Amino acid sequence: MSQTLKMDQQIAKSEVMAHEIKQSKELFRILFYRSPIGTYIIQDGCFRLVNRQLSYILGYEEDELIGRPALSFVLPEDREAIREKAVSMLKGECSLGYEFRVINKQAKIKWVMETVVPIYYRRKRAILGSLIDVTERKQMEERLKQMTDEMQRSNTELEQFAYVISHDLQEPLRMVSSYTQLLSKRYRNKLDDDADEFIAYAVDGAKRMQTLLHDLLEYSRVGTRGKPFSLVNCEHIVEQAMANLKIAIEECGASVSYDVLPSIMGDEGQLVRLFQNLIGNAIKFRGEEAPQVHISAQRRNNTVTFSVKDNGIGIDPEHSQSIFDIFRRLHTSEEYPGTGMGLAICKKIVERHGGHISVQSQPGQGSTFYFSVDMAGGEAE
Amino acid sequence: MKSKTAKRPIEILIVDDNPGDVRLTLEALKDGKVQNRLHTAHDGVEAIAFLRRKGEYADAPLPDLILLDLNMPRMNGVQLLAEVKEDSALKHIPVVILTGSREVEDIAKTNNMQADRYVTKPIDLEQFTRAVKSIIDFWLTTVKIQTEER
Repeated sequence: MSQTLKMDQQIAKSEVMAHEIKQSKELFRILFYRSPIGTYIIQDGCFRLVNRQLSYILGYEEDELIGRPALSFVLPEDREAIREKAVSMLKGECSLGYEFRVINKQAKIKWVMETVVPIYYRRKRAILGSLIDVTERKQMEERLKQMTDEMQRSNTELEQFAYVISHDLQEPLRMVSSYTQLLSKRYRNKLDDDADEFIAYAVDGAKRMQTLLHDLLEYSRVGTRGKPFSLVNCEHIVEQAMANLKIAIEECGASVSYDVLPSIMGDEGQLVRLFQNLIGNAIKFRGEEAPQVHISAQRRNNTVTFSVKDNGIGIDPEHSQSIFDIFRRLHTSEEYPGTGMGLAICKKIVERHGGHISVQSQPGQGSTFYFSVDMAGGEAE
Repeated sequence: MKSKTAKRPIEILIVDDNPGDVRLTLEALKDGKVQNRLHTAHDGVEAIAFLRRKGEYADAPLPDLILLDLNMPRMNGVQLLAEVKEDSALKHIPVVILTGSREVEDIAKTNNMQADRYVTKPIDLEQFTRAVKSIIDFWLTTVKIQTEER
């Protein structure tokens, strides 16, 4: 009785087991053969097991792949690197997500990304690999790189162009300006009133053009003649900017204060220019009261955001973007002299330091300029 | 010695291919108190001929001061400066680089090459006149120092 029961139990058990085996086989089939990732086992350099997705990527039927050397599908130029990977992997290292090219049955080259792990298969060392087709991404990357390169090239060309123009035009302009000034100096009141007036306009025009060229040159130099970054103390930078503005600060009784400021990686000369332009603007566009400028800094992760706050005439928010454009002016030169390059230069310096510049302001309420800088000196390309 | 240099005019050689600049320097020198004679060379090759009294320059005086532009055709200012400073008969002549270029690279190059002074041609006439005067002042002190050293 008990014997029969035992047998029955065993039969029942083996039926359960058979069922489980069937289920796990099915699961394996689904996971392995239907996987959207090319999966395979390589032993002694040849494919032992391949799934449908790998067949699809390589364009060969399963039985065309089994037994063939895996390397024979790799583009010859990439084989050496793959071989080295395989050797290091057999020493027990895993290789994660490296990319290379394969040739499919239609002789088309495809970019793939492979991850392999060392395993034992039928008691022998083997490699379990998984592989995805990244051709489209690679092509996009390539296109993107070409576009970036192209943009960089045209940017550099443009900067160089602006630099050469502004530099080379100075020489002949110096002649115009010097000699009109000499005319004005030697012949004032010796010709008639018209002549004096004409000469005065010529002198003035040449002077303004010189200022424009000078500022344009400075602007183009931010990109073409910048210094390598070094660790600079921003309090020291602000002090230098203030020293350069000493006369202006004293003349209008401005007070400039600053909180504790960090040290950052940057181009010292350019950072002095940046603070100098912003503090200088705060003083230039002052309101009725004596200008008060306050500088502070806030650190977040690897970015420092500086703020330069003033109590000046403020800016209509409508212009809060365009004021950073080159030669952009909101006032006549009778109201406020200048070329409209100051903030454009600021923007360029900030961008070179991996940051952004913006302003928050209302007319009559003062302005606060914010700019961020990458602390580690991630210089923008 | 000192009285001797004070009596005769200073001989100045200006090496510059831009006649406008040469004339401007001449005008600025006119305003100065020191008597001077300005000689012109349009490039380094002419300047060397002048300094070594070759050909048409056989009777040229040895200048007391050289004003040198950097950007010139044929032999440029940097090359000329090197040549002058390697010539034992010429190297005592003070050389002032007077140039339109504000380029840092130029300054660095000339610093290596022992120019005696570097002056950027100011874009403003008043400043230009002042710069030329300061060059003459510089020359007077140099001569004084050299005289005292002897």
